[in-house]
Amino acid sequence: MPLSASCVIVPIDFSEESPRAIAAALQFVDSDTHLHLIHVMPPLETMSPGFIMGNLTDDIRRQRVQEALGELAAASNASDATLAVAIGTPGLEIADYARAQAADLIVIPSHGYQGVKRLFLGSVAERVLRHAPCNVYVVRRSDAE
Amino acid sequence: MLRRYRLSFVAVAFAWCLASAWALPEAVCQEVVAEAAAAPAAAKAPSLAETIDTRFGVVVGYMASVLFWEPVQAIPIPLIVLILLCGSVFFTIYFGFLNIRGFKHAIDITRGRYDNPNDPGEISHFQALTSALSATVGLGNIAGVAVAIQTGGPGAVIWMMLIGLFGMTAKFNECTLAQVYRKVHPDGTVDGGPMYYLEIGLQQRGIPFLLAKAFGLVFALFCIGGSFGGGNMFQANQATSAIRGMVGSAFGVTSGRIDWAIGAVLAFLVGLVIIGGIRRIGQVTEKIIPLMCGIYVLAGLVILAMRADQIPAAAALIVRSCVSPEAAFGGFIGVLVQGIKRAVFSNEAGVGSAAIAHAAAKTDEPVREGMVAMLGPFIDTVVICTMTALVVIVSGAYAEPAAGEGVEMTRWAFAETFSWFPIVLNISVFLFAYSTMISWSYYGEKAWQYLFGKSREAVISYRVIFLGFIILGAVASLQNVIDFSDLMILSMAFPNVIGGIILAPRVKTMLKDYWARYQSNEFTTYR
Repeated sequence: MPLSASCVIVPIDFSEESPRAIAAALQFVDSDTHLHLIHVMPPLETMSPGFIMGNLTDDIRRQRVQEALGELAAASNASDATLAVAIGTPGLEIADYARAQAADLIVIPSHGYQGVKRLFLGSVAERVLRHAPCNVYVVRRSDAE
Repeated sequence: MLRRYRLSFVAVAFAWCLASAWALPEAVCQEVVAEAAAAPAAAKAPSLAETIDTRFGVVVGYMASVLFWEPVQAIPIPLIVLILLCGSVFFTIYFGFLNIRGFKHAIDITRGRYDNPNDPGEISHFQALTSALSATVGLGNIAGVAVAIQTGGPGAVIWMMLIGLFGMTAKFNECTLAQVYRKVHPDGTVDGGPMYYLEIGLQQRGIPFLLAKAFGLVFALFCIGGSFGGGNMFQANQATSAIRGMVGSAFGVTSGRIDWAIGAVLAFLVGLVIIGGIRRIGQVTEKIIPLMCGIYVLAGLVILAMRADQIPAAAALIVRSCVSPEAAFGGFIGVLVQGIKRAVFSNEAGVGSAAIAHAAAKTDEPVREGMVAMLGPFIDTVVICTMTALVVIVSGAYAEPAAGEGVEMTRWAFAETFSWFPIVLNISVFLFAYSTMISWSYYGEKAWQYLFGKSREAVISYRVIFLGFIILGAVASLQNVIDFSDLMILSMAFPNVIGGIILAPRVKTMLKDYWARYQSNEFTTYR
């Protein structure tokens, strides 16, 4: 396990687990400049009123998420981290991004989905694990079953 | 082990459901087919469309026996209609007739008086209302009214209007709740609606987690069903009827094969928006709908003005048919049930679907959006439906066998005065059906997302199934389609009204607080 990795990816879903994941990731790097925080948004519904009436575009959404990521990074002692936003299926986009950045490690919380969604989808962490091009460190939920 | 093989588990369960849905009616159909075979001069072998329709009808029959259960044997009122009626009356009284005293304020809000662009949400109050209206204003107003009068007699109109008025407060309750319990994501998108407020809100009120979750799940399931039924099949069915009427008379084709073609074309056009993502179509449709509404209402008003002398007689007929209806319409209760069913089908008050759209409005005051939502049933039922009903009665279409059923009856009624109107009506029917289908695909997809997430696979599978139902709706018979549509949409009200009543105290507290601040002019106005 590299304790001074040069590129660590932290997928962010803005849940309560995200700050813990960032804290865990900081253990693996010398400085937060080696951290990449990435949030993956689902594609916008083609028939949603916001989309059709033009209020919501992917650019506007990206901008908002960048700001939110910046705030989260600042609050978690990672203000110099690289911020990234992608659109698509979380598991695959994270893996693709890690491949593009030639990442050493992905640090991801284990239980994003709950209930019925978990039954049908499994977790994003499982998907990432299957497709990741590098090591994956899974942070267990504090209230994991 | 369940988790590891979850996809195969789901696939097997789904395949089993499909197989039994096919095999079960088969067993029942055997009887029907045997009888038909025994009859002399038997008709030709049923076409594929008829076979599908028959099996569909059997499935619907089974579901109806469960969902439309009548609690009191002596009184033929389905439980769901009773719940809707009592729910709407309860909300109206509980919120102090907000539908009347809050009307003016609702108009002010919709006009943009309090629109702050920095409020959380996706769309403005006005856009939320037009979006919800584009889902509700449709064939329910044109064809549904005719169906109500056909099956319930002229007296059904009174019940439609009453439910329209009382339903305004039911809409208020559900849309305020949708705003309170919505989830605003960091990218600005919103997830909200009854599935969310039932699950979260009921838990907060002390209902056990599993039960609250069940409310949300049941609602989501019926909402998906509704998006395939009333929001899809019914529209496709009537649009096909309208197009067949136009094209058929031009080319001398009456029915059958042409329905498949029309269904396929409709599915293609809807697919352009929901799969192709072509925004332009949606934008153009949004502009045309109010225009067609205006023309329709104007034409109706002109007809009523021209026959102003017949209106008192029509009104008297309506009242008489409501109070002491003919036995053919099922008596007083039968008329009541028909009127309520069609009104709720038209304005969706108590059903909870519009709450999904209103949850996305930009505001930091949930009560405000609830008030905007109240205007929906008013415009839809109290104005447009009543006008259609008056035209149908005043023109005598309801008593005229040649007038036909559903949209054809309304077309006949308008053609009586304006011989060229059928073309306008057909175009309107098509456009209304189109916009309703697109809006309801949004509701259905949000419910689908609640269950299955937002992955590309989940979303595409829903949209493809949706398009499939368009073709099914074009081909199936009107009665089966109506029954299925009613079933699904009205059943959404089961969890929604019951949960809404449990959550109403919170809304009442918020309303009191809001109203006090409104009366002391505390709100910033922007226009």
